Amino acid sequence: MANTSTVARGGGNSSAPERRPPRSRRQAKASGMPAWLIPYVLLAPGLLVIAGLLLYPTVQMLIMSFQKVGLRQIRGVPADWVGGENYAQIFESEIFWSSLRNTVVFAVVTVTLTLVLGTAVGVLLNKLSKRMSTFVVVGIMSAWAVPPVAQGVIWRWLADADAGMINWVLNLLPDWFSELLFGRADWTGEPWLNDAFTVYLVLIVCVVWASFPFIAVSVLAGLKGIPAELYEAARVDGSSAWRTFRKITFPLLKPVFSVLTILSIIWNFKVFSQLYVLMGGPTNREAFNLSMFSFAEAFRSPPKMGSGAAIAVVLTALLLIVTAVYVRQIVKTEEM
Amino acid sequence: MKITKIAVATATTAALALGLAACGSSEPAQNDTGTKADASAGGPKFAGQTLTLWRLGESNPAAQKYTDDLVAAFKQQTGAEVKVEWIPWPQVNDKFTAAAAGGAGPDVTEIGNDQVPLWRSQDALHPITPIFSGGEQAEIPKNLLSLETDGGEIYAAPWGAGTRAVLYRKDWFDELKIEVPKTWDELVAAAKKIQKEKGKDVDGFAFNGGSDANHLLGSLAWAEGGEYAVKEGDKWVGKLTEPGFKAGFATYTGIVTDGLSSKSRLTQNSADIRTRFANGKVGMYLTAGWDIATIKEESSGKVAEDQLAFFPLPTKSGGAAPAFFGGNDIAVWNDAENKELATEFVKFATTKEWAGRYASEGGLLPVYPEHLEKLKEDPAQAPFAEAFANARALPGDPNWTEAGETKAVLQNAARSVIEGKATADEALAKANTELEEILNQQ
Repeated sequence: MANTSTVARGGGNSSAPERRPPRSRRQAKASGMPAWLIPYVLLAPGLLVIAGLLLYPTVQMLIMSFQKVGLRQIRGVPADWVGGENYAQIFESEIFWSSLRNTVVFAVVTVTLTLVLGTAVGVLLNKLSKRMSTFVVVGIMSAWAVPPVAQGVIWRWLADADAGMINWVLNLLPDWFSELLFGRADWTGEPWLNDAFTVYLVLIVCVVWASFPFIAVSVLAGLKGIPAELYEAARVDGSSAWRTFRKITFPLLKPVFSVLTILSIIWNFKVFSQLYVLMGGPTNREAFNLSMFSFAEAFRSPPKMGSGAAIAVVLTALLLIVTAVYVRQIVKTEEM
Repeated sequence: MKITKIAVATATTAALALGLAACGSSEPAQNDTGTKADASAGGPKFAGQTLTLWRLGESNPAAQKYTDDLVAAFKQQTGAEVKVEWIPWPQVNDKFTAAAAGGAGPDVTEIGNDQVPLWRSQDALHPITPIFSGGEQAEIPKNLLSLETDGGEIYAAPWGAGTRAVLYRKDWFDELKIEVPKTWDELVAAAKKIQKEKGKDVDGFAFNGGSDANHLLGSLAWAEGGEYAVKEGDKWVGKLTEPGFKAGFATYTGIVTDGLSSKSRLTQNSADIRTRFANGKVGMYLTAGWDIATIKEESSGKVAEDQLAFFPLPTKSGGAAPAFFGGNDIAVWNDAENKELATEFVKFATTKEWAGRYASEGGLLPVYPEHLEKLKEDPAQAPFAEAFANARALPGDPNWTEAGETKAVLQNAARSVIEGKATADEALAKANTELEEILNQQ
C-alpha cells in the first residue's frame, strides 16, 4: 500500500516535471503543425471560399476574355483562343468609348455629390438633439436600405413621362419661376428616360439618394470620436464654422473619408441594377455604362461571353488602377 | 405558374377520367392506349412519360383552350403527359439563351420562324426532317421551309403563318366618322384626329422601337422598294442607304416627329403597345391577329372583340404594304431527353387537324394550302390574306437577331434621328456599316 502509494506519489512527483513537455507536445499534436503555420490554417477556410467564389471566376473571366465563347462553347465544344481579338474588337467599338465615358463621368459626379451631401448631413446630425438625430438617421437609412432594383423602380415611376411625379411637380411651379430656372414652363410628357443625358441625371439622383445616408452615418460616427475640447478651443479663438470644419473636423476625419471615398468609387463604378431598371434593359446604347455593355455582350442573344469578359476585365483593371492610385495618395500624405 | 397549374390540373383530370374509363386498372394510360386501335405505332411505349412544351406569347383563353385540347389528345394517343409553359415574346431569346446554356429547357418549343436560323446555328434544335417525307406534312409548301432548312436538314415545322396588319379601335373610328385609311396620308390624318378627340396622351398610331420594331420599319421600307441587305456571293451587302429604304425610314421616324406617337416611348415593343392599347391609349398599331384575344383578356373585357378590327398597312400611293412574313414554328429542342417522343409531338401538332386549329383559333394563317383557300372567303381574315400575298422576310441569317434585336441597329438609328442628334443619312450610313459587320461575322 505504502509502497504503491509512494510509487504512485513518486510517480506523480516524477511525472509532474515530465508532464510539462508532453503537455506542450500534446498541444503541438492537437494542431499537428508548427506554430507559424496556425494562422494560415485558420485563414484557409475563408481563403478557400474566396478562391472558389471570387478568384476562380476572375481567372476564368481572364481566360475567357482571350477566347471566343458562345452558346456552343458553353454546351461543351472547346473554346478557340483568339488572342487579343476580343480586346481589339471592343476598343474599336464606339459603344465601348461612350460606355467608358458614361462610367467615369457618372462615378466622378456621383462620388463627389454623395460625399459632399453625406458629410453635410453627418455634420448636421451631430448638431441635432439625440432624439431628432435618431429620427433623421432612421429616416435616411430607410432610403439606404431600399434594394437597388426597387430604387430603380421608384425613380423610374417618378420620372415617367406621362404619370410621373417629377413632371407633375415641375408643372406646379409658377410659370415665371420655371421659365427663369429652366427656360420653359411646360413639362407635360417630358421624356426623362429617353436620352442618355437625362437617364444619367435620374440615375445620379437615384444613386445619391440611396447612398448618402451611409456616408452621413459614418461621418456622424467619426464626429462622435472628436474631443469636444477642440471645438471649444476653436470657439474661444473665434473660428468660423467653415474654418473649424477645415482645420479640425476634416483632418481628424481623414481616415474615415479615405475609406468612404474608396468604397464610393467602387460602388459607383459598377452600378448596374438601377440603370437596368431605369432604361428597361439594355435598350439605349448611348446610355450604356461598362457593366451594362458587358452584360449586353455576354448574355443577350447570341451571347458573346468572350467580349463580355474582355469588357469586364477592362472595368476591373480600371477600378484597380483608380483604387491603387488613391490608396497610394493616402499612404503618401500620411507619411508626410 | 397559374397556367402550368391549370395545364397540370387538366392533364391530371384527363388521366383520372381515363383511369375510371379503364375500370380501375392500375396503369390507366397504358391500358387506355392499348385499347385504342388507331394509336400511333409509338403509342403505348410513351405511357407515363412527360414532355415539356414551351408556348410563346401570352396565354389568352383561346390559346389556352387549344393547347389543353392538343395536350389531351396527344395523351390519349400516346399516353405521354405534356407540361406547358408560356413564355412572353419579348423574353423568348433570353429564355432560349438560358435554356441552351443551363440545360433546363423545353423538350418541344414553339419558335418564331425568323429565330430558327439563330438557334439552329447554336446547336439548340434537333433535326426533324423525316416528318416531312410522308404523311400530311408533305403537303406543306416547300417555300415555307426556307428559314427552317439548313444543310439538307429541316429543324422546325411551320405551325401557322403570322403576318402583320394594323389593329385599330373600330368603335373610335365609327364615333369620329373616320374611314378605314387607304393610303399612308389618310392613316396619318386618322391618327391625328384620334389624338385631337381622345386626348394628348393617346398615340394615334403607335411607334414600335423595341425588339420587334423591324416588323413595322420593314413594311414601310419594303413599300418604298427598300431592302435591308442582300446576299451577294457569300457576303451580305447592306442596302440601308439606298433611296427606297431611306424613304421608308423617313416614314418610320415621321410617326414620332409628326406627333402620331409620343416621343417618350421610343423603346416600346408590340407587347408594350398592346398593353397601352388595352388601356385605351392607342388608336392603331401594327401587329398580328393573335393580339385581339390577349387584349380582351388584358383589358378585362373593357375592350371587346367588336370594338377591334384590322386593315392592311397602306402604302403612300395606296394598296397594301408588303407585310413582315412572320410565322410560328414548332421544333424539338436539342436537349430533349426523349427526342423520339418530342418528334412525335411535333408531328402530331402539325397535322392538318391540329395545325389548322392552331391557325384558326390563334388568329394566324394556316400553312396548308387547302386551308388557306378557305380562309380567303372569311372577311375578318381578308386583311391578313391580302398582306400575306406579298409578305417579305427579314435577312435569313443566324446573325440577324443580333442586328435586329440585341444591338437594335435600326432602332438606335431611328432614335438618334428622332432626337435630332444625326441626320437620316448619317444615321443610316452608320447603321449600314454596322449591319454588314454583324451579318458577315463568323
